[in-house]
Amino acid sequence: MSLALGRRLGVRTLVHVAGEAIPFFWPMRTFIHHNPLYGLEHLPFEQAVAEGERLFHARGYLPRKVQQGYLAEGKVDPGVLADEVAHFLAGRPDIAGLDQQRLLMTLLTEPGVSIGPRPTLADAYDVHAALSGARLPSRETDATVLAAQVRADMPPGRPPYAIVDRLFGTGIGATLNELVIKSCLDFFDEGQSVWQMPGREQGLFAAWSAVAQRNLRLFIRGLHIKRILAVDATPEGIISHVMEALGVPEEDWKGHFTCELTRLHGWAGFIRWRAGAKHYHWARHYPADLVDYLAIRLVLGLALLREHAQRKGLPHTLAELDRFVEAHPGQAYLRHEFHGGHILPDSAHAVEDALASGRAGRIDRLLPVYLARKREHEARAQAAGLQNLAERAGLADAMRRLAPEALTTLAGTLAEFETAEGHMWLRALESCAMGRLMHGMNLAPAVQRAKRPFAQLMFCIDVRSERIRRHLEKVGDYQTFGIAGFFGVPVSFIGLEKGSETHLCPVVASPKNVVLELAIARSADEQAFVSSLEQVFHELKASVLSPFITVEAVGLLFGLDMFGKSLAPLAYSRWRQRLHPDRPDSRLLLDKLSREQADSIIRSLQRALIVKAVVRELNVEREAITDDMIRELRETALGNREGPTDFARRFVLDARAETAFIGCLRTVYRIDRGYAQLQMERLGRIGFTLDEQLNFVGTALRSIGLTEGFSRFVLLVGHGSTSENNPYESALDCGACGGNHGIVNARVLAQIANKPTVREGLRAQGIAIPDDTWFVPAFHNTTTDEIQLHDMALLPPSHLVYVDRLGNGLQSATRLSAAERIPTLEPGGSVDPARAYRHALRNASDWSQVRPEWGLSRNFGFVIGRRHLTEQMDLEGRVFLQSYDYRADSRGRLLENILAGPLVVGQWINMEHYFSTVDNAHYGSGSKVYHNVAGRFGVMTGNLSDLRTGLPAQTVLKDGRPYHEPMRLLTFIEAPFALARRAIEAVVPVKNLVYNGWVRMAIVDPETGTFHLFDDGGWRQHASWPGRPTEEIKEIAA
Amino acid sequence: MTLLAVAFFLPLFPLSIVLNGAFVPLRSPRARAVLLVLWPQCGVILLQMLPHPVPHAFVPWALLTSGFYALRLLTVRDMGMWAGFLATSALALTWVLAAGSADPQALHLFTLWFSLPAALLALLAQPLTKRFGAAYAGLQDGLIGSLPRLSVVLAVTVLAAIATPPFPGFFALLHLLRMLEPGGAIGVLLIWLTWGWAATRLLQGFVFGRGRGTTAGDIGHAPMLSWSGALGVFVVAGFMLTGGGL
Repeated sequence: MSLALGRRLGVRTLVHVAGEAIPFFWPMRTFIHHNPLYGLEHLPFEQAVAEGERLFHARGYLPRKVQQGYLAEGKVDPGVLADEVAHFLAGRPDIAGLDQQRLLMTLLTEPGVSIGPRPTLADAYDVHAALSGARLPSRETDATVLAAQVRADMPPGRPPYAIVDRLFGTGIGATLNELVIKSCLDFFDEGQSVWQMPGREQGLFAAWSAVAQRNLRLFIRGLHIKRILAVDATPEGIISHVMEALGVPEEDWKGHFTCELTRLHGWAGFIRWRAGAKHYHWARHYPADLVDYLAIRLVLGLALLREHAQRKGLPHTLAELDRFVEAHPGQAYLRHEFHGGHILPDSAHAVEDALASGRAGRIDRLLPVYLARKREHEARAQAAGLQNLAERAGLADAMRRLAPEALTTLAGTLAEFETAEGHMWLRALESCAMGRLMHGMNLAPAVQRAKRPFAQLMFCIDVRSERIRRHLEKVGDYQTFGIAGFFGVPVSFIGLEKGSETHLCPVVASPKNVVLELAIARSADEQAFVSSLEQVFHELKASVLSPFITVEAVGLLFGLDMFGKSLAPLAYSRWRQRLHPDRPDSRLLLDKLSREQADSIIRSLQRALIVKAVVRELNVEREAITDDMIRELRETALGNREGPTDFARRFVLDARAETAFIGCLRTVYRIDRGYAQLQMERLGRIGFTLDEQLNFVGTALRSIGLTEGFSRFVLLVGHGSTSENNPYESALDCGACGGNHGIVNARVLAQIANKPTVREGLRAQGIAIPDDTWFVPAFHNTTTDEIQLHDMALLPPSHLVYVDRLGNGLQSATRLSAAERIPTLEPGGSVDPARAYRHALRNASDWSQVRPEWGLSRNFGFVIGRRHLTEQMDLEGRVFLQSYDYRADSRGRLLENILAGPLVVGQWINMEHYFSTVDNAHYGSGSKVYHNVAGRFGVMTGNLSDLRTGLPAQTVLKDGRPYHEPMRLLTFIEAPFALARRAIEAVVPVKNLVYNGWVRMAIVDPETGTFHLFDDGGWRQHASWPGRPTEEIKEIAA
Repeated sequence: MTLLAVAFFLPLFPLSIVLNGAFVPLRSPRARAVLLVLWPQCGVILLQMLPHPVPHAFVPWALLTSGFYALRLLTVRDMGMWAGFLATSALALTWVLAAGSADPQALHLFTLWFSLPAALLALLAQPLTKRFGAAYAGLQDGLIGSLPRLSVVLAVTVLAAIATPPFPGFFALLHLLRMLEPGGAIGVLLIWLTWGWAATRLLQGFVFGRGRGTTAGDIGHAPMLSWSGALGVFVVAGFMLTGGGL
């Protein structure tokens, strides 16, 4: 049987729509910070958080206890909190005699006050009786109430196995996840396994079903996969069949699919990203999509469900489950209580025993006893919570006097309030941080510099640049700027001896141009020894049998390596680096090739391949053949000539052998016309036209307001990190470069900006760069704070005398920055700059270090404006600083670019940190200590888990408490209100982010001296910043 | 008749029901602990009053009783009951030793090596009950994250109770294995394995897992040190008195 095409397409579409809420997961090699709720960004923040809680079972706000800690530290404005509570109460019913504002503020701010979970059986009359110390009114709980409570946990879309698990404690969901993860690990492996899954080229579902049908372990477990797979050959057909077999109504399919896909949202997110990543090598060779994945889940789920149903006599379709609840509401309730974790602890044993006995009489006798106890327990607990709250608020008498009807109202209000309070805390926290930032800003007009600075440095907007910029500006005559770390040049880069392209730009952009790195001079032999040795070791470790003898034979060497890395990581790493030859000097191929140049390159490649083929295939040495012979072979292979070749005559090849060799040249060495055409197209992507180059440099300089007063040195500082044994290393690299080091983009822009033709073009645009200005690419290592200059061989001789001064300035800033940073990593860490710097170096080479640096943790703000706004402030490496001079952007186009690129990337980073902090177990990736690399593209907790998305605990938590303070990105634009607002409105994704509350936006108008804050769905103008200074808040909190 | 009385105290099924019948209704963990320690000692005292050696027919009976309670452990999640069943399973093995004409002191010590950690486990149910309403595996898992000290104490006590090295039960069981025929020895080894399995399930239900975000506080440093000291003394006493490890 096969599903009709229309129906198949329908299923396919439904699956893709169902998966939209699942965030992409990029391979760890290029970790991309992203918003885990990206798929819900079309919703207002509060709604999206609630939906995220439903889909991912994750918390969306920090717990009250942590917020109370912030309040005590003066990080939360109590005034704003009180306003939020008042706003919440507005429009809600009053309760006579009870000051609800006071009560709710007490609940929020008093430590140790809790009203506990909402009762499920006890009502307001019971709580009223408990409050007055009386016996609870006698009543029986109706069976329909019990059935309704069970059914509330069986919403449409919930997979039947999840309901069976909840009612019978079968653990099918866990087993299913385990089997699915194993299947995914087999299929998606990117070279970690020695033996690969067969048939992967056919796609995920086809490869899996071929293996699963012969899987003896599944058969022994009683899972009759084969029977299910026999129904249809396509994944869509299988999905349809399973849904029908389970009795899921078609209108619930989408919800069901979403529920299934979010069960392992890391894997689903990876598959979802991979299916759309056309340039991804592994996806091109081994295709897979969510439809395949879902089909596998459903097949295994149905097989497991049937096996359990058969063995234990359980209901397994939705209709059967519904009938079970209808027929046995009491038993279903007790089962739900016990397996759902709601059971009264002291009744757990009795309930478990009764359920295990399966005797209806015993269960019926136990049920009323249990219900009475539970109702009593809930009523007393609720009353105690309310009493405690009221006493702390000084409202104990008022609480005791409340009638049951008023208690009902209060219970409703409290329940809604506890749902809404997270957002209130968040707003109060943000308000305080915004106030702190605004009160520190220098709003006076910028002072014109008397002379040009010694050097100008363009850093990435990354929050980690703020520290070193501040120190540089203090230690010498340096002017710094903030610009997106890819410097506005989207590059697809092919590095030395690399065969694939790396996209060096934000993931929201896709580069069209390729930049090729070419070595100036290199010796293959130099590289050979150490690389070969490492390769041999790697293969010995990785192959199937060799590890048995490798340990005996060369285990000691690994032991030495281990001791070196553990006992003296810094010295050992330096020694190891010396074993490797220095990286050869290289240049970047940046200019577009002419047709002749491209043709010449292809010809020379083809000639080289022919020589290789002659040597390999015919064992003829190079010196035995002439260039003419090679040309003739090439022409023949390309079909430009026919007939026997000189080569054949010279080496006595008969016609058959010659034809075979020419065929080999065409098929194996790809010397044919079609491939040559393809190569021409690829070569056409190399480099940039002069116009493009002019545009890149001009836009980059104008966007940061650097159009005059150029220094002798303009450093373009890309950044990245170095750490050992850290799968998250890429998360510490430059987000604007797609999770890679930013040095390549810096080299590209510097090389372009130093070209006389480009300078000439810029002069025509009004940007006159003096002849003595030299753009120098540099690399900022954020783990060590070192700044390393690159391409120094190109530096004009006239500049060499200044290099020493430049190096000293950079080194001082490096050490000062390390001295500021190291104590935050380790309490009591050295504040002596030299020692702190050594400590930072050690962190970068220590394989046991789980936190080599804090990365972007604690980020909270994004300032788009001139440096003088924040120059006097110590922003503690927490604010993205994008240089922008509105005076050079009368139409707002540059601002639009900043909003569309850097701000969006900043928001992703911010949201990644936000959600990883508020619920590290679900949105984050838990502790690094338990992580294992999976398939070379992700990490799992333990040996088998969902792919861990988000940030590890070590990045956002310290001693189990949040280190990162989770706030939405507080963005400030320094520009006239009308211009900034127009730019925001023009960039629709950013407009949506602002209007839906994903970004808090404020505009500082330097021309009118007013502030404009987007709040409650509209722009509000303030003559001065509405928040209080921190000191004042601390006083109030105290 | 005396033999039958002994079978109450060094429990043999079905007479073992008496011990567990007395143990389960006791709500106080202290009372449970005292019962577990004293009850088998009474059995050993009575054993000495026997006018004749213990018949060898009691060995398979004891092994069956021990195996039965070991299997029963797999299904029990209440920690107090778990301690009781483990003690029953272990104490039944005293008969094997008695049938091998062990001296009274060896019998007293053998029962002590198993009843004491079981009693400690019964005591540990108290802090769990105080915090969560019951010491019931699976209701509050992942305690290692929220209550690390209590979790460590619990895990080590469970390891002591199931006779892992270096606790005295381990050496006592090794001694017992030497006295048995191969068939009996394999039986004891299987029982031992089952204890290990049951202990893993118990610890999974308390110590490991994701946890449910409890706000309960951990035990203090002083109780933790006292407990560690008690277990340390237990280990040293085992070394001295069983000869194990020395």
